[in-house]
Amino acid sequence: MQAAERRVDKKDKNEPWRDPNAEAYVRIENITKRFGDFVAVNNVSLKIFKGEIFCLLGGSGCGKSTLLRMMAGFENPTSGSIYLDGQDMAGVPPYERPVNMMFQSYALFPHMTVEKNIAFGLEQEKGLSRADIATRVTDILEIVKLGQFAARRPHQLSGGQRQRVALARALVKRPKLLLLDEPLGALDKKLREATQFELINIQEQLGVTFIVVTHDQEEAMTLASRIGVMNRGEIVQIGTPTEIYEFPQNKFVADFIGSVNMFEGTMIEDLPDRVRIKSDDLGGVIYVDHGISSAPGAVVYAAVRPEKINILRQPPADTSENCVKGVVKEIAYMGDVSIYLVKIDTGKVVRVTLPNVERLSDDERILWDETVWLTWHGSSPVVVTQ
Amino acid sequence: MKTEGVFSKSMLWVGLAFLYIPILSMVFFSFNNSRLVTVWDAANSPTLKWYGRLFKDDQILSAAWLSIQVAACTATGAVILGTLAGLVLSRFGPFRGRAFLQGLTTAPLVMPEVITGLSMLLLFVSLEQLFTHWFGWQFDRGFATITIAHITFTMAYVTVVVQSRLASFDDSLEEAALDLGARPAKVFFRITVPLILPAILSGWLLAFTLSWDDLVVTQFVSGPGSNTLPMVIFSRVRLGVSPVVNALATIMVLIVALGVILSAVLMRRQEQRRKREEQMAAAG
Amino acid sequence: MKPANRNVAARDAYGRVSPLWLFLMKYGPPRWSEYVVKNWTGQRLVIAVPYLWLLVFFLIPFLIVLKISFAEFSPLGRPPYEPVFQWLEEGALQIKLLIGSYVYLFNEPLYVSAWIYSLKVAFFSTVLCLMLGYPMAYAIARSPPTQRNVLLLLIILPFWTSFLLRVYAWVGLLKTDGLINTVLFKWLGIVDEPLAMMNTSFAVYIGIVYSYLPFMILPLYSNLEKHDNTLLEAANDLGAGPIKSFLRVTLPLSFPGIVAGSLLVFIPAVGEYVIPSLLGRTDQLMVAKLLADEFFLNRDWPKASAVAIAMLLLLVVPIMIFQRFQNKELQAAKR
Repeated sequence: MQAAERRVDKKDKNEPWRDPNAEAYVRIENITKRFGDFVAVNNVSLKIFKGEIFCLLGGSGCGKSTLLRMMAGFENPTSGSIYLDGQDMAGVPPYERPVNMMFQSYALFPHMTVEKNIAFGLEQEKGLSRADIATRVTDILEIVKLGQFAARRPHQLSGGQRQRVALARALVKRPKLLLLDEPLGALDKKLREATQFELINIQEQLGVTFIVVTHDQEEAMTLASRIGVMNRGEIVQIGTPTEIYEFPQNKFVADFIGSVNMFEGTMIEDLPDRVRIKSDDLGGVIYVDHGISSAPGAVVYAAVRPEKINILRQPPADTSENCVKGVVKEIAYMGDVSIYLVKIDTGKVVRVTLPNVERLSDDERILWDETVWLTWHGSSPVVVTQ
Repeated sequence: MKTEGVFSKSMLWVGLAFLYIPILSMVFFSFNNSRLVTVWDAANSPTLKWYGRLFKDDQILSAAWLSIQVAACTATGAVILGTLAGLVLSRFGPFRGRAFLQGLTTAPLVMPEVITGLSMLLLFVSLEQLFTHWFGWQFDRGFATITIAHITFTMAYVTVVVQSRLASFDDSLEEAALDLGARPAKVFFRITVPLILPAILSGWLLAFTLSWDDLVVTQFVSGPGSNTLPMVIFSRVRLGVSPVVNALATIMVLIVALGVILSAVLMRRQEQRRKREEQMAAAG
Repeated sequence: MKPANRNVAARDAYGRVSPLWLFLMKYGPPRWSEYVVKNWTGQRLVIAVPYLWLLVFFLIPFLIVLKISFAEFSPLGRPPYEPVFQWLEEGALQIKLLIGSYVYLFNEPLYVSAWIYSLKVAFFSTVLCLMLGYPMAYAIARSPPTQRNVLLLLIILPFWTSFLLRVYAWVGLLKTDGLINTVLFKWLGIVDEPLAMMNTSFAVYIGIVYSYLPFMILPLYSNLEKHDNTLLEAANDLGAGPIKSFLRVTLPLSFPGIVAGSLLVFIPAVGEYVIPSLLGRTDQLMVAKLLADEFFLNRDWPKASAVAIAMLLLLVVPIMIFQRFQNKELQAAKR
């Protein structure tokens, strides 16, 4: 698939955030926003690099939309600064910023045709002749594949088409930065998937820096070159999708992205290259094959993702570590995978995901109330301390 | 469920009859030859005699002309001020004196007219005194004072209409326009106004009707020689019924009925066309 | 370099600051940053226009009425009152406030009875209007959408025809030889002699209910229309009969509409002039007529002003309640 190949290419491209000397395109420094007593954004600092798709991911009320609006110029920070391409945006109104926004509701002007909607932004710029405007409008319509809908009005378009008009209208001005507020929220699942890849294509074609705000993890994982997870007005972790998923830095992130099994315990062996945790939650010992940094005797949490756990019907050879016995309580058949909820002796319910690789007969399949053993590899757990 | 439905339905019909019988009787008796209006003169009726008299009645005709002029100016002024007030109250952030402005704009809606009329007259008298004292001007109350007074109390209605229309309006449209580079004034004229135009138009019509129909305030603030139509009608009907007034009433009812029906039909057509287009879009 | 704390002061709910102001803010004297934020000229101008108009032509007149209510009546003066504020030759300001007009209002039986009568008439008219208007609004809200539009049109149409003429129509109906008496007396013989309906309280009630009915129906309708039908279904499902569900679900939910409609009728009805003039009693006046008579017939401006102020004070509380409700409706519509 073409899109997938391009994604792989992208991973080989430079990762500017790893270079300590790289100049950030967007610099957010100590931004705080208060509404009366309520702190919506609490001392957030970010660096976003040119050509990135950066996703702000979080639940409702976490402050991501407020942060986006401050970048667009619709809210003024209570304190802190925003720099775009080296320029301080303090006091710059939205109509003077080289930033454009794609609104969640699309905000298409209902009394104008698609063409006029897109041309509106260009008409506000000085020094563009009518011919120039017309050419650019036609070009962008080609890119979003809406060429033949130019003369229609918004209420004559379907949801997906409206979304593309909104995108075209923002992109035609060739902004330095494009802000997208829950861009795929209103689309149905199939359309969403297709549009996700299209968005990435368009972004690469035009080279615009995107900042996307979303609460949908799948969207963030697909689109983003880097994700910033937000909770209660603060940035909790920044990283690539892989980093966020495989190496969460705290309980919140581990729990927020995908599902996770969390085992609380204390460290009984703390070496640079391995760690052993005694967990009462688990009723056993967890062996982790990499070192972690934590205070001695501190309480830690081992997070194990459901897809990394094996279910065995016979006890394995070594049951001393990374192994626990349980009874299957629930099975949810999802078509491509099955989710097993296994109740272990301590009373905790562990979630395990297995792909439905083969078609098994009834006695081969694992069934309800069956006693099973769960195991996982030493590299699977991620240990977080808060 | 059935019983309560029957009760309210029958009250509905009673109410509608109650609303329309007086109007219909007024229309009916305009064709009555008898000067007593309600005593049907079967021998000589129906007749158009009173309509003829109406069109030769100079006092009524000149009063009607004055009323139209005043109403048109009032409606235009009220729409400008009322739309600005509505915009300020629904779109602008908090500013000092906002609650007070909100109060000032909605108080005229319920204020008894005698109070408004008296207070405006006293204002004009004071202004008169001021101007005469300082500039030596003499001005008479008339067209200008009536119009100013009318604008003041009709703008409240326009404000309410515009404000409620703007409240149900997605303000992300205006934000999008700002984001695309348009300055606030441009956003107002190219985005906001076209979209609230129906509200502005109905505000204009509302202000026009209220001004055209106003009696009490006008009586206070008018001067010699400026008689509006309601003033003329009132002075005539205080003394009893007048068949010429019936004729006038019939004409006005006809105009209003035509206007209302026309606008309803137009709106219905527009709605249907829109629905059809949306269905086509959803289909593909 | 940018002084850091000045920016903190400037960033505020007040929004956008143009480059010129920003420059002044950065390099100007310290107190300017406060000034800058509060001087977004474009917005200020837009706010100022309607505000100034209303201040000059709505608020200040009330202050003038207040002033004159304390003035001394001078029957031959032009205008007919003694000046309240007067500059004397010595440069002193003489202020003469007489409360005689107010005392008169509270003592003179004519006034007291007019007050009570006005309140009584307005109150009962409102109740009658509510009793007729509520079922009507209810029926319209329950009818199918196509019918609903037609019905609303029928309700609104009389509103657009002249108020004065509609009251006049009742003169024709209620007269001794009017339509109603013709039907009841001449044709059907139900009564022995024509009913005297003109110039009675009864006529005023009819007049007010008739004229203000649309003002009662529309707020009620707009409230009832928003009711969720499933609430009633749930009530029925839980065992409540139709009357009970109405009393315990619909009626309480329609309370804001009832208040709005009632205030829209009651407040103007207290100060009604036209209806009592054409249809009302000649022996018992309502306050508006009293005010007009005092002003036009007696030319006693101070007393007329006092009546106006007293009416205003009486209605201030209902007016504020009404405005509170208006605000709530607008806030709700914003969601």
